Amino acid sequence: MGNRQDNGGEGSSQQKERDQQEKQGGLFFEGIKAGLSLLVFKEKTPVDNFILEGVDERKQEKRQKEDVAAIRTGEGDKLGKEARGRERKLRKKESRMNKKPMRVKRLSEPGEVITLANLLVSPELKVNKEYLETIFSLPENKDFVLREFKIFSDKPTDAFVLFMEGMAERRTVNEGVLKPLMLFAGGKDSNIDITGSKMAEYIKEHVVYGNQVDIEEKYEDIVEKVNYGGTAVFIDGCPRCILVETKGWDRRPIGKSETEQIIWGPQEAFNETLRSNTGLIRKSIRNTNLMTELIKVGVQNRTDVAVMYMKNIANPRLVEEVKRRIEAVSSDYVGESGMLEQFIEDHPFMPVPQIMATERPDRVVAFLLEGKVAILIDGNPHVLIVPTTFFSLLQTPEDYYLRLPYGNLLRLLRIVAMFIATTLPAVYVAITTFHQEMIPTDLILAIAAARETVPLPTVVEVFMMEFAFELIREAGLRVPGVIGNTLGIVGALILGQAAVQAGIVSPILIIIVAVTGLASFSIPNYSMAFALRGIRFLFTILAAAFGFLGVSAVFFIILSSLSSMKSFGVPLLVPKGPKTKTESDVVLRGPVWSMEERPDYLDTLNRRRQPRISRKWTVESEKRGDDN
Amino acid sequence: MIIKITKLGYSEAAGLALVFIGTKAFLGYPRLISQLGFTAGWLIILISVFVSMGFWLILSALLAKYPGESLLAINEKVMGSKIGLGINMLLFVYIMLSTGSLLRQFSEAVILTALPEAPVSAVAVLFLIPAWMAAHLGLEAISRSTYISLPFILVGVLVVLLSLYPYWNIEELYPILGAGLGPVVKYGFLNSSVFGEVIILAILASYFSFRTKTLRKVGLFSLVFVGIYFILITVVHLMVIPMPMATESITPFYQLSRAIYLGRYYQRLESVFVIFWTFTAYLRLAIGVMVVALIIRDSFKIPYYQPILPAISLIIFSLALTPTDVLKAVAFERDFRLPYGWVVNFAVPCAVWGVAVLTGKKGRRSRYNGERE
Repeated sequence: MGNRQDNGGEGSSQQKERDQQEKQGGLFFEGIKAGLSLLVFKEKTPVDNFILEGVDERKQEKRQKEDVAAIRTGEGDKLGKEARGRERKLRKKESRMNKKPMRVKRLSEPGEVITLANLLVSPELKVNKEYLETIFSLPENKDFVLREFKIFSDKPTDAFVLFMEGMAERRTVNEGVLKPLMLFAGGKDSNIDITGSKMAEYIKEHVVYGNQVDIEEKYEDIVEKVNYGGTAVFIDGCPRCILVETKGWDRRPIGKSETEQIIWGPQEAFNETLRSNTGLIRKSIRNTNLMTELIKVGVQNRTDVAVMYMKNIANPRLVEEVKRRIEAVSSDYVGESGMLEQFIEDHPFMPVPQIMATERPDRVVAFLLEGKVAILIDGNPHVLIVPTTFFSLLQTPEDYYLRLPYGNLLRLLRIVAMFIATTLPAVYVAITTFHQEMIPTDLILAIAAARETVPLPTVVEVFMMEFAFELIREAGLRVPGVIGNTLGIVGALILGQAAVQAGIVSPILIIIVAVTGLASFSIPNYSMAFALRGIRFLFTILAAAFGFLGVSAVFFIILSSLSSMKSFGVPLLVPKGPKTKTESDVVLRGPVWSMEERPDYLDTLNRRRQPRISRKWTVESEKRGDDN
Repeated sequence: MIIKITKLGYSEAAGLALVFIGTKAFLGYPRLISQLGFTAGWLIILISVFVSMGFWLILSALLAKYPGESLLAINEKVMGSKIGLGINMLLFVYIMLSTGSLLRQFSEAVILTALPEAPVSAVAVLFLIPAWMAAHLGLEAISRSTYISLPFILVGVLVVLLSLYPYWNIEELYPILGAGLGPVVKYGFLNSSVFGEVIILAILASYFSFRTKTLRKVGLFSLVFVGIYFILITVVHLMVIPMPMATESITPFYQLSRAIYLGRYYQRLESVFVIFWTFTAYLRLAIGVMVVALIIRDSFKIPYYQPILPAISLIIFSLALTPTDVLKAVAFERDFRLPYGWVVNFAVPCAVWGVAVLTGKKGRRSRYNGERE
């Protein structure tokens, strides 16, 4: 028995060991599997399947008409049934929405599960206070202020206000809420003796000054508004709460654009407040068709995300897709436009961005009027624009503001800069390593003479200097502002000069690295500049291994991956790959008055931007230009 | 399974055909033509363009009988599933062999011109991996890249040809009939094998968004365009590098770009043009890998082609390294493609067309119309 037990014990320990080994083996194999899964072909996610197409309005209308007809005739055919089913579902949904939440009991009663969603304002002030103390963890949580007072009237009524320190403006709370209630509420002609829920209506209409006053009874709504700077007024005997808009926190004033500077054109940039940002856009588009829809993201931080578009221009499918993606984001914290971008973009692993971020209102306005959708996030000066094309990442608003020849000159310069920023070090490495015959004799002699004392191969030299350059750039960004300027001088002058004198790098390489750096600074989009910086290293590595063949291989890989990419259903390389109808605005642009139609790839509701003849003064008779 | 329908426009279709046929100009094709017809090489091309246009008209008549269907589906429908599959496999083997041969020739050309010390297998691998990656991304990606890069390639070629203007010597084109009327006509017909690769338009017919009538025009346009471009290169080649020497170079286009000398600083540009023709080589190889994979997928009705890409790449790599030396690889053009290419590309489809006309089978939309990924 004992033996058996022992055996059993041994057996079990062996079993354990075996299990452990298997577990380790399993882990090992799982690791291999995980590694292989990166290489093995997988089905694509449905997101790739979204292709932006025009809306067939006639089809939708037809379907609606069919539905109505089927319901009216009451025929028992399939279509009628389906239509009725849809209608019933819709009604059910509506009725559920209309349903009032259950009135719950006091918090103090044991065994009662109360959630914020079904909690309603109680007529008893004391109960409400208890609720709020639980919800906001008062008085430990010092951010929330609960001020008790009596409403001035013949029979003074108990009341209190609740607001968040720092989010609500102190002066508005004092002057617009507390003062009227405590001083003027019960004047001689007043009806302040009315009680119950009517009290709230009366106060809203006659007493408080706030320009936005709501009456709420669900705690869920009250909490949300108080969290966002509102002031809640609770009154004894009234089962409703008055919410006064008192938002007012310290904010950065609207300043100049920091990352997208231009010389010609408006200078203002977005700041961190959602409402001032939407205001900046509205200021430029004084049109009721400009829509702003708010969506909340982030389970914990509940940030407001505004989706802005032109109702009469933007493709409804595009707007739907944008909203669908944002609404489907489920995460604790989404507080920054870059984070939201990562949540909703099509190809997260590709270097080139598929969503443009800008801090310039004029740019957003231009894109909105083109039929694109803007995504604004509260607390963020960067607005996302979708869909984005590759070519628009290389453009600045200034290209349009300047006269045609200057604008095109800038654009050409930038295209050249893009190629220099990606390939110049690679071409230098390829030529000096493999294709020396390309260089004219005098120049090659000069290069050889300069490189005579350098003991390292060209590619090592290039990588060393590129690394140093990136280091200067990164350090220059992180270093405290006061010593920032010194760092630039130290980095650029002393390091380069010393490296040459020490014989570690050749002087010609300093020129190459400097020109490459300059070129990469001239790329207007921050993400795009990052992408090019990364691609440059790929070029250099393959050029060092295979010369121009390597350069051409990287070109090919990048071009084909760009051609396969999409941004919200629109191919990234439109209007060139695939070829779509376009106005003269791709690499170079035509005159402003010749851009008559909106981009074809956006399939906008309203295709025409301006009539065929927009400069009507050029024709003698005014009738010759058709109207927009 | 997510079914994505790929639909390409006519610009992309024409781009595919132009690159698929035209890439040979960067390899030994101008030399081969000079070997066959001496100074009348350009005449051979002219004749073969007309011959292949005739064949293409028959081919597009076959496609018109079954609108929206690819040649692969038509073969199976007209000839029955077994013989049809056999014909499809013949196409598969032909494109596989020609892609393998091109891979070898391109690798050898790179070694000859730019990387003299690189092993051929390394260069071949560097050609194949990006081609495989592009094929993995899909026909859309390849056709768009082709369309975007086409203007640059054409401008590159034109720059080379025009920069040689000081060396153009029109007298080198005489005698007009070169090797004589007999060989010129004979090779004019056989040379249609080179243009026969326009068949990829028929193989990919189900992926195009336009009608068969437009496809016929796209095919004719591609043949004429490639014909003119071949003639230009051959004529300049013969004018700059006169006749006996014209038959000796392994890479005539490289030799042409090497001959450029317009002052002290505008010379020795051959390395720059290496980028142009290697880029074209990448496009051509990617289209080859892609078409082969699509033939397999559509013939055997498998849902995805991506998993078979490694196998296809490996086979093409092996085929490329099979010839023992560069001369044997180059001889493939003369001994295999020239005499037999037109049979696979034109004669067999014409036979299928004959059968279709005789049996009077009508078309219906194909089950596998459109790319599935």
